Amino acid sequence: MEQLNNPFAAPSRQSRIAIGIILIKFIRTTIRAFWPILLSLFIGRKTGNSFEVYIGYVALAFAAINLGGSILTYFRFYFHIDENSIVIDKGVLKRSKTNIPFERIQTINFKQNILHQFFGVVSIEIDTAGAKKSEMTIDALDKEQAMAFRDFVMKEKAEKTEDQTDEQVAVETAEANSELIMKLSVSDLFKVGVSQNHLRSMGILFAFVFTTLNELTDNIEEMVFEELSGYEEQILNNTWVLIGATMLLVAIIAFLYSLISTVLKNYDLHLSLQKNGLKLVKGLLNREEISINKKKVQVISWSENPIRRMFNMWTLGLEQASSEDASQLKSKIDVPGAYMQQVEKVITSIFPAEFFRPEEQHAVSKLLMFRIILFLGVFPALIAGAILFYHFQIQALYVLIWPLVVGILSNLYYHKRSFELNEELLKNNRGTLGHIYELTQIHKIQAVEIRQSWYQRRKALANVKLYTAAGSLSIPFIPLEKAMALEKFVLYRVETDKREWM
Amino acid sequence: MSQIFENLPVKVAELPELTPTDLQPIDKRYLKVLLIMQSIIFTLLTIGGAAIVYFSPDIEPTLLHFAYACAPTLVLWGLSAALTLKGFKKKKYALRERDLLYTKGLIWSVRTSIPFNRIQHAEVKQGPLDRIFKLHSIKIYTAGGSQSDLSIPGLPEETALRIKEFVLGKTAEDGAIE
Repeated sequence: MEQLNNPFAAPSRQSRIAIGIILIKFIRTTIRAFWPILLSLFIGRKTGNSFEVYIGYVALAFAAINLGGSILTYFRFYFHIDENSIVIDKGVLKRSKTNIPFERIQTINFKQNILHQFFGVVSIEIDTAGAKKSEMTIDALDKEQAMAFRDFVMKEKAEKTEDQTDEQVAVETAEANSELIMKLSVSDLFKVGVSQNHLRSMGILFAFVFTTLNELTDNIEEMVFEELSGYEEQILNNTWVLIGATMLLVAIIAFLYSLISTVLKNYDLHLSLQKNGLKLVKGLLNREEISINKKKVQVISWSENPIRRMFNMWTLGLEQASSEDASQLKSKIDVPGAYMQQVEKVITSIFPAEFFRPEEQHAVSKLLMFRIILFLGVFPALIAGAILFYHFQIQALYVLIWPLVVGILSNLYYHKRSFELNEELLKNNRGTLGHIYELTQIHKIQAVEIRQSWYQRRKALANVKLYTAAGSLSIPFIPLEKAMALEKFVLYRVETDKREWM
Repeated sequence: MSQIFENLPVKVAELPELTPTDLQPIDKRYLKVLLIMQSIIFTLLTIGGAAIVYFSPDIEPTLLHFAYACAPTLVLWGLSAALTLKGFKKKKYALRERDLLYTKGLIWSVRTSIPFNRIQHAEVKQGPLDRIFKLHSIKIYTAGGSQSDLSIPGLPEETALRIKEFVLGKTAEDGAIE
């Protein structure tokens, strides 16, 4: 193609703001690597000691190295677009020149942290397919320039790969055609935060507290014991009060944590439909703009939990084919707080709408439920019961509640577990307390696996796993005959389908 | 069979079925490769166990103690050798008109099928032990992560190369998008 109107032909640097942004990135990684040392220096300082002077020097050297490093990094970073690729030339000590051919580019996403937002710049992430080392970042570029950059690359890419059907080119740049699908209002955002999985946040908090304690002291047990040793008397008297209070506190902290992190992550979320796919913008401190290419979507999922059900809200998930080491975040895009009609709108705009309809639900074998009860309920209860009986005798019988709980949950799970199939789509239904649905286009499947345990072979049952270029769908415990029929049909559909699948 | 998925436009029963004769066993010499590899690992583990008894100041190096240290690894060695011997027969592959199949597993049997038009890349590989027995393995790459990649071991050079050529040829042919 002619390069006459290429505004990015000459190597250019990033926006000046990049120095600050790179500096912050530098400081962050150094702090992350050395924070236990820094913290121990800070805690270990004694007043009036020459030690304090040392800390000053260390801090100064630290700052100087970071500042110098980021300035050099900035001045040694050039990018331009040549005839058929983006070229990035960078590196202070280790220089590198990377060419990213247009046809390998999957998506170009924008990201803004609070500094970016303040200065009106964006960072550009170029995600490519296949090969290792497949993500390139341009730290800061003026917003208009970044948009022009993306439009230009996408247009060139379309021209190069699609053999110049003018229609396609027109489509790529048609920003005006976007239609808003959903927007999280403040009250919706609050509902999403309230209905988050708070148990997960609790887990994250516990993990954080323990790793931090682990870094600070070698022996958590000793520390806890020491801290508590003075209060033994009270503890014995007030055990239940204490446990109750602690649990309440933990619950409140976990609740606040998930509420705040949800608000920060999903603030002012916009999902809009464009000719070629979807565009998602969200976040308060870190503002992200993610493009989703229709063709690249492999699996669409939507799920709810009991609290979210009260608000009629679903979490929409889109799994995109992407490179191996692109972060999980990018290949799986979550949109919390979508209402059913919005979910349907997304599904029918990405997958052929006429095939999205209820089909016969194929249930899984009831033996799956019994196996779960046996392995997760009965066996652990027997082992734990035997140990506890040794210590507490008859009170150990409380353990028997466990298999009962597992029994109820696995019954719920069993009744929700099924799959639906028609000539175009495959839908997987599951969930225990909530519901999870996964949907894929059959021709996007790239491998079929039939797996049987020794037990399943005796009962003529099998697990089927269908792999796509982003995530897989599992169907456990269906009759072998059905599994083989499914395998045959899927292979037939994939092998005879000539459409592009990613 | 046809009543399984009634709503489909094609009769599943009429689709090509995998016949047992399609499945080819892999080269018998590969069993030796597996057993030798296992021997090396377990010999090292056994020596490690014996070394602990021999060098530890707290354990007296009596015959009984050596037996205690080495028995578990020896028992595990025996078990895994038996599994390898029995399970080897399950390792089979099939090259069909439009896809590639591989089966394996004695306790957990697994059958993986990959259509040629979803293969990204194929590679012929050879490990140091493979070289002694003049064997090769072929690795099939699919898109997006390594979850559904497939490796077929124990193939003579000629077969491995032939499969690779065949697969890549088919991939180009079947993969053409209209």
